[in-house]
Parts: sequence; C-alpha cells; structure tokens
Amino acid sequence: MIRVERRLEQPAWLSLAVPLGSVVVSFGVMAIVLVATGRAPGHTFIRLFDSAFIGRDALNATFVSATPLAFTGLCAAAAFRMQLFNIGGEGQLYAGAVLGAGAALLLGNHTAWLSIPLMVVAGAAGGAAFALIPAVLRAFLSTNEIITSLMLNYVAALVVDYLIFDSQSYWRDTSTPDARVFPQGKMLPDAASWPGLHLGGIVLPFGLLLGAGIAALLWVLFARTRFGFEMRVIGDSRRAATYAGMRTRRKILAVLAISGAIAGIGGASQDGDFRHTLDPRGLTQSGYGYSGIVIAALGRYNPFAVVVIAFLIGGLQNAGYTLQGVDFPSGLVGVMQGLILFCALGGELLIRYRLRVARPVREREASA
Amino acid sequence: MILAAGINDSILVVVLASAVAYGTPLLYAALGELVAERAGVLNLGVEGMMLMGAVMGFWGVQRTGNLGVAILVGAVAGGTMALIHAFLVITLRANQIVSGLALTIFAGAAGLSSYLGNDLQLADEPARHAFGPLFPHGWQTAGVVGPILLQHSVLVYASWLCVAAVAFYLNRTRPGLNVRAVGEAPAAADAMGINVTRYRYIHTLVGGVFAGVGGACFSLSITPQWVDGLTSGAGWIAIALVIFAFWRPALCLVGAYFFGAFQGLPFTLQSRGVTVAPELFQALPYVMTIVVLVLVSSAGARRRLGAPASLGTPYVREER
Amino acid sequence: MPTAVELTGIVKRFPGVIANDGVEFEAAEGEVHALLGENGAGKSTLSNILTGLYRPDEGSIRLYGEHVTFHSPGDALDAGICMVHQHFRLVAPFSVAENVILGDHRGEGRKLVVHPRRIERRVAELGERYRIEVDPRARVWQLSLGEQQRVEILKALYREARILILDEPTAVLTPQEADSLFETLRVMAGEGRTIIFISHKLHEVEAVSDRVTVLRAGKTVASVETAGATQRSLASLMVGRDVQLAQRQERTAPVGEAVLEVSDLCATGDRGDEALRGVSLTVGAGEILAVAGVAGNGQRELAETITGMRARTRGSVAVDGTPLHGGDPREAIHAGIAHVPEDRLHTGVAPSLSIAQNLVLKSYRSKEHAAGPLLRLRAIRDRAAHLIERYDVRGGGPQLPARQLSGGNLQKVVLAREFSGSPRVLVAASPTRGLDVAAIETVHRYLREAAAEGVAVLLISEDLDEILALADRIAVFFEGRISGEVDAGRTTVEELGLLMAGGAPS
Repeated sequence: MIRVERRLEQPAWLSLAVPLGSVVVSFGVMAIVLVATGRAPGHTFIRLFDSAFIGRDALNATFVSATPLAFTGLCAAAAFRMQLFNIGGEGQLYAGAVLGAGAALLLGNHTAWLSIPLMVVAGAAGGAAFALIPAVLRAFLSTNEIITSLMLNYVAALVVDYLIFDSQSYWRDTSTPDARVFPQGKMLPDAASWPGLHLGGIVLPFGLLLGAGIAALLWVLFARTRFGFEMRVIGDSRRAATYAGMRTRRKILAVLAISGAIAGIGGASQDGDFRHTLDPRGLTQSGYGYSGIVIAALGRYNPFAVVVIAFLIGGLQNAGYTLQGVDFPSGLVGVMQGLILFCALGGELLIRYRLRVARPVREREASA
Repeated sequence: MILAAGINDSILVVVLASAVAYGTPLLYAALGELVAERAGVLNLGVEGMMLMGAVMGFWGVQRTGNLGVAILVGAVAGGTMALIHAFLVITLRANQIVSGLALTIFAGAAGLSSYLGNDLQLADEPARHAFGPLFPHGWQTAGVVGPILLQHSVLVYASWLCVAAVAFYLNRTRPGLNVRAVGEAPAAADAMGINVTRYRYIHTLVGGVFAGVGGACFSLSITPQWVDGLTSGAGWIAIALVIFAFWRPALCLVGAYFFGAFQGLPFTLQSRGVTVAPELFQALPYVMTIVVLVLVSSAGARRRLGAPASLGTPYVREER
Repeated sequence: MPTAVELTGIVKRFPGVIANDGVEFEAAEGEVHALLGENGAGKSTLSNILTGLYRPDEGSIRLYGEHVTFHSPGDALDAGICMVHQHFRLVAPFSVAENVILGDHRGEGRKLVVHPRRIERRVAELGERYRIEVDPRARVWQLSLGEQQRVEILKALYREARILILDEPTAVLTPQEADSLFETLRVMAGEGRTIIFISHKLHEVEAVSDRVTVLRAGKTVASVETAGATQRSLASLMVGRDVQLAQRQERTAPVGEAVLEVSDLCATGDRGDEALRGVSLTVGAGEILAVAGVAGNGQRELAETITGMRARTRGSVAVDGTPLHGGDPREAIHAGIAHVPEDRLHTGVAPSLSIAQNLVLKSYRSKEHAAGPLLRLRAIRDRAAHLIERYDVRGGGPQLPARQLSGGNLQKVVLAREFSGSPRVLVAASPTRGLDVAAIETVHRYLREAAAEGVAVLLISEDLDEILALADRIAVFFEGRISGEVDAGRTTVEELGLLMAGGAPS
C-alpha cells in the first residue's frame, strides 16, 4: 500500500530534477500522441530540436521567440510568488505595446538614446496601469484577481484591434490609399528600433538582455530587500503579515504593478525589437501571456530559472512556427506546453511529499 | 440560425431570444462548474473543456450525422479533460488554480482542440446537422409566448431541466447533502463516513461533462461550424457566473441569460444598421463580468455566504 | 463487566516522531474510562486510530472480543464507535438536524430524498429522550460552542454509538456545564455504553471516570482505578517525575501605574454580531490581569482589537496615556504592545519561513536589521542564533522552517520575538494551549518574568488552573462584556464558574 507523507525537508536537487523530469515525461507522452495520430515521434522531435537550436538562424529565431516569453514569465513569477494570480500578462503586454508604440511615434525620428528608454518607460507604465485595475479591485474590494485580469485580456485584445482595424487612431497608418483599405499600423521611426548584441553571427535582442537584467533585479528584490521579505510573508500567510503590521494592501498594488510593468516592457519590446509597428494580429495570436504562466510555474517562480526556461520554450515555439504546415499540426505547441505543466504539477507532489510503501500491519498477541 | 426571419421582430423579443441562445452554453458550463465547486474543487479549465466539447462534438456530427451521438461525444470529451484535472488536484494535491490554467492551455485554442480540429480537417465546413428549433413553425409565432419560449432548440429546453435537476439534487437529496458537506467541511464529512475523494472526483467529472455539452452548443447550434477558439472566453464567464449566482442553480439561469444578452447584442444591433465599432460591443460581456464580480464580491466579502468553505484547498486526511 | 475495547501493541509513526509506541488499552462496557496524558503524549493519535481516521502501523484492535480493522471513519462508525472531537466536525451552514443525520446509511438513511421536517422531528425526539436541549432547525454557526458540543453528542446517540470518545470536552464549557455533561455521560454509561474520556485535567478525571489509563511519550504507563489514585500520583505518572501542581505565588511588589487602559470598547465580530459590548479594564505595570471565560464570548475579539488587528466601533484603547487610533497593528506595535496570538502557527509566524526570518517579523525595518531597502542578512542570522540559545529553542537552527517546530518551541520563538522588543504591554491569548507540561512551565516562567520587569500582562485563557496560579486579578467575560472582576487570591472556581455563565458576582 502506497502512503503519502509530507516531507520534513525539501531537498534542493528535487527543485531542479522535477522540472527537468516533467519535460522528459511530457516528451514521452507527446511521443505517444504522435504515434497515435500516425506520425513518427523520433523524426518529429529531431526536426523540432533542429529548428530550435541548431545553427545560427535557428538560435536567432529562438531568441526572438524567447524574448516576450521571458517578460511574461517574469511577470507571472513576480505575482504568483505572492499568491496573486495575475493571469493578465497577455493584456498587460498589449497595453505596453500600445503605449510603447505611441511614445515612439510621438518622438518621431529623434535620437535613439531618447526614443528607446522612453519606449521602455511607456511600456512599463502601460502595463502597470493596466495591472492596477485588477490590483485595486483585489486590494480594496476583495474581487478575485484571476477573473478580472483574465477578462481584461479580452478587453485589451479588442482595444488593440480597434486601434488598428476599426478606427482612425494615431497608431493607424493612413498615409497610402492601400493602407486606408487594408488596415495596418504605422511603421515606427528608425530611432525606435531596438539594437541587438551581435556575437559572431548570433544576435541577442536588446529586449532579451533587458529581460535578463530585470530577472537579476527581481532576484535581488525577492532575496535581499525588505520589500521582498514582506512579499514572502504575505504570500505565506496573510494573517501573519497583518499581525506583523505589514501594509498588505499596498504590497498587493505594488507587486501587481511591477508584474504588469514587466509584461508591458515585453510589449514595448515587441514593437521595438521585432515588429516595428503596433501589430494586433501578431500580438493576439501568440498567446505570450499564457505561455508565460507555464514558464513561471515550471521555473518555480525563480527569476533566473524563468529566463532559462523561456529560452527553451521559445525554442519549442520557434520550431512550431517554422515547421508549421500540413505536416505539423498547429496546436502541437499548446499541447506540449500543457503537458509539461501537468507533469510539473504532478512533480510538485514529489517535492512536497514522499511516497512510501507501508509495511502491512503486524499484529502482536495480547499480553497475558 | 436561431434568429430566423419572419418571427415577431420587436427588439425586446430578439434580445431575449439571443440571450437564451447565447446564454445556453454559459448555463451548461456554469452548472457544471457549480457542481464541482460545491464539492470544493475549483476548476479553471472550463474554457479548455468547452473547446474540447466543441471540437469533438463537431467531429461527432461530421462523422455520424447524428446529433445525439455528437452531443455525447462532446460530453465525453469534456469529462475526459475534467478527469485529468481531478487526478492532479485531488490525488496529487496540486494547486487547483495552476492546474486549471494548465488545462486551458493544454486543451484550449492553440492546444489540443486546435490540434484535433486541424488534424481532423474540421474547419471551413458547416455542420452536417445542427440543432434547430424543436417546436413546429406555427407554434413559434403564436402570440407572445411563441417567439419567446417556443422557438428554441432541444438543447435549451434540456438546460432548463438540468437547472431543476441540479437544484433538486443539491437541496433535497442525500447525496446532495453529502456533497455540500464535502464542500463546506470535508473533515466533518470524512468523520461521518463520507468518501470525500470519491465525491470530489465524481462532481468534477460531471462539471466537465456539462462544460463539454456547453462547448458543443457552440459548434452544433450557434455558429454551427468549427473555428479555433470559437468559445472566445465563454468558459471564463461561466466561472464568474457561478459566483454571481451565489452557487445557486436558479440564479445561474438568470445570470446566463443576462450575459448571453450582452454577447448577442452586437449582432442584433448590427442587423438593425446600428454601426458602432464592433469591438466596443464585443468587450461588453467581459466588462460586465468584471462589474458584476465587483458588486458581488464586496457585498459578500463581509458575510461570506455562498462560497463553499473548502473551495480550492485539497483535503488531506492524515496531515499532522 | 465484559471488555468492550481492547487495543494491543498499537504503533503509529509520523515523519520525525513516534506518536504511539506500543500502546495497550482496555475499557469495559458501562464504564467511563479516562485517557490521561499531557499534550503530545499520543492520546489524540490513539483515538484517531480507534475511530478509523488513522491506520496503525502495528498492533490490533478488538471490539467485544472480535478482531476488527478499520479502513475509514465509516467503518468505525458502523462498528458503533463515535467521537466528539476537540475541534468539532460540524458543517457550519447546515442545520442541527442535517448535521446529525449526515452520512447515515442505515434504514431511513438509504432513501434518496431528504425530508427536512421529518429529520427535524426525529432529532427533536432524541433530544427530549436524553434531555439534551438544542433546536434541530438552528444553523450550527449560530450556536455557542457548548451547544455545538451537544449536537456532537446527539450525533453519537443518533448513530447508537456503543463506544463514545470525547476529546478534551470541557475546554469549551463553564464548570457548571461540565458537571451537566458528566451527568449525561453517566446516564449513557448506565445504558451499557463505553465512554472514553480524553483529558489532561486531573480534577475532571477524578470527578467523572471509573478507571484511568495514563499515556506518556506514546506508551502506556499505568491503568488504575480512579478511586485508588490521587491527583498527585496521576500527575507524576503523566509527567514522569514528581510534579508540583501549579502553585500560586503571592505578589511581593506593588502594582505600578496603569499602562493599558481600555474604555467602553465595542467591536463587531466576524459574523456581523456585536462581539465586544462596552469592555473597560486597566492593567498596571507589572500586573497580570487574566481574562477568563468560555471561548467564544469575545476574548479573541478583545485581543484583536487591542492589538490593532480588528477595528473598534466605539471606545478607546490607550497605552501610557496615549490613545491609539486602532485598526492598525503597526500602530499597536510602535506603542509597545506585544501580542502572543491564539493561533501561533498561522498568525504568530509565517509557517514556511525560517526561524530567523520569523524572529524579525516585526523588526525587519529597524536599523539593526535593515540598511535602507536592503536587509542585513548576517545581522539577522546572528540575532536569531543568540535568541535561539537564550530561549532554548530546540528542533533546528535558524534556517529551519517554523512549521517544523513543535508547539512548545514555536511558542518560544514567538515569545522570544515579542519580548525582544521591550514591550510595555503583553497580550497573551491562550499561550499554553496544546503544550506539554514542561513547555507550560516555561511559558509561565516567562510571563512572570515579564511582569516582574514591569510589563503589563493581559492573559487570556480558558484554563482556570492557569489563571488562578498566575493572575493578580481576573476579569470574566460573558457575551462580550465583563460579568465580573475579582481578586485572584480571594476567588473560587465556583464563583468564576458562575460569572462565566453570566451570573452576578457574589
């Protein structure tokens, strides 16, 4: 008979082994699914790995995919750590994209030294402001932030669509007769193009570097500051935090604002690094926010792990796009991500509890 | 389509009719979620289950031409997804919120439902059969009652029966009493000999079945076609709906039609030539959900009547 | 009388501890048998095994001579074993009747549909037969703790329990209600049922039981007739050494000036009711004022209001003459109010955080522990090591998560933290609940030391022995008001009992 016992200590190696194990197991399950739908798993996986990591082009494409994921992953990690389930990373990213593009367009072709930082700030502001809606509702009106932040994702998507497709907004390109009929966003000025770090043939997008820097800052925040300490107490026991005199409401607002700001910078990065315009279709069809949650959970909310895992999942997604076609079904990426998350969740059990095979109950004879 | 021409045209009637039409999938999903939450299991994967129900139900009708089979397939699809969630959160004691999200990512748009839909080549074709009005045309136009009550498909009428059945089950039967005890005080229920694990499994599964049927409503009745992500967040609205209804089936009905009216409003107004940016109207249901949730939460925050006390927490018997 | 229950060689292990280590226990029909032991001796574990909640690692259970195995609580219930737990297993929003019939699958219980009127009538009849007064239609959350306990007993009677186990049942009763309970138990024993009475209170064991089994550190150390034992002999069996029962120490120094002044305090409870209805009290420097009363009469709300965790609706709280705005724990902390909360694990500490982190839970903003926004981790760790040694916290080093500490050591951490802030007032709510005798002695010693250093101590407790031993004055709470204030040296348990039940002071 198998018994489940709570562990006294949580060995550190498990925190690494479980996420890795989850990936392995999910690949195994995926293999079964592939076989069931008449495809060769080995061949598929090799193609995946190839398209993701082998060769400079693959790596660069993976970095491109990984960048937004790093931001949304950090966004989710920052909030989830405190038991604040900010599902609104998706919408906060859009908000950041809107304000980031707006800032770039406003500045015109001024120097990049001005444009780029301002885009970052605008993106952060947009994301933070958008995240404050569910934050305020949660802190002051006890409204469940999961549903509010999620509903706002849909609203944000519609707003972005509206700005480009159904209005004559500032973001929309109305310069050519063509553009008036087929809606598209204005191209951002060259000054607003974010640079990349060139190493050999490899290009690391500015956004990715920014994301890594933010990860480091977050880590310091969590581990070394008073703010981080309060976050940990509140996340562990709200009552204890109140008892200790901590200002829990302010923290909720602050943490969600930071979380949203990070996603917002990710949105600005989309404008500046890759798309160079406000691109509703591209943004809303990518599901960066939701993938970010998977990455955060898999990385157990550790900022550095999140960045690394964003890279790996970015590779997976990149491969998914590259290989898309009749041969390669479109939902594969979502399925894999979901599977990985399931396995990670199941693996959590192993970290917190221990499975033991119990000896059968032995009887002792009654003493005379 | 449900909004058939030639029926009494007054805007109120049309709005009511579309409220029912769009509200029905919400109602099914909300009833399912209500049942699961009463047992103490929070299921955020409703959207994913609905999408699975939609795609598999559609596949069912395309393969067999039989609507009954199609609904059944949709229900089973939803239930299977729910089984995954149940296993994770009940047996493996995983965090219910993250598990539900994982399920939505796994099964939702750009996930398994998309994979299956594209793989089975279900897109771009209308359904071979769709659910149409149940009663003959003559009845549908009779008086005031006709256009409001009699022009619906069997799915709608069945949903009303489900509301009554769930209400009766919860309030007047022994298993209903037991499941409510499981949701409110699993330790007490366990001490009285009720199998908490079994009740939670069964009710989570039922929740998935209902969600699957709700999803099938989309692909077999409302659109009736399959498109990736065709539920557009209905699953999430259903979750909010349960809170709005204070976990009571009858109020779910009211709420579902309320939200359904908002979903149908853009099309209704558009067909009358009112042109406002469609996004504005499309955003309304989501905004309304937030507003409603705020109202319900702040009033209820003090009294805490409604939410089953153990909602979201795994029950562990041998914990020290 | 024939043997009803026989437990032989019961062993039950949990991670890190052996709760039952070869326990032997035997009770006869028609007997009231006390299971005595201090907190942590293994009584609750044993009863949980007997009721099917836990499965023993080794050993056997015999009921009426037959060997039995329980796979779930349902099996035990079917075998006729019912338990009244310390924390009631009731469904709060349900009615009394619904709670009583819950899970019953005999006879009437097999029907699908539930008829409220019918079950209410049956429960009312049952109550009349045993003279247990309770309204079958009342919602459980509306009932007092004493009334809830009666519901638990009704449950057992409804299930026709042949063996009834009660776990520390008098914790929530006034002395008079306890006597009434003992009456009911004797009636039930007279019907041939076996009553197992779990307690760590010696005078109760003397009063109600026929035989006593003493557990210590998971083993059975004795099984004797109550008539032939004394409180002292039982106490020494319980603890394993000769024990001085809690002695009162008379004050030597005079009480200082008033430090804590509470005036006409009113506050609303969690259920929207008026939990505090105009409470006024004063505690002087170096004085120990005890608040006595059955749990649920406003004591918890009093502690929460004074320490800022709950807003008041009227009245005032002042420390050293300075009034507090209230509703803000930080304000209370700065005013010098230390708080040892009732729920030490989930309120007093953040359970997953380390001991070191918990020790600075309130002081992490101070200059010693923080440099600007950053924490001084080394200073925090050193401080923790120092406090762990000074307060003899055992179980691990500063990095150990707080939840892994035993109850006594956890309380030491809380006390260490609260005292290290040089408080003016100490509010201690049920500080020794669930602790073993050694830990209780330690906590009492710290409380006395605090008073000796001039701290105004407000002790809230349900344990009259503790109160009589420690307090200078006693304020008795009943339904949100102080029903009487007495001098601890000159009162009696009877007088206190009367006041606890709302009677007038003599």
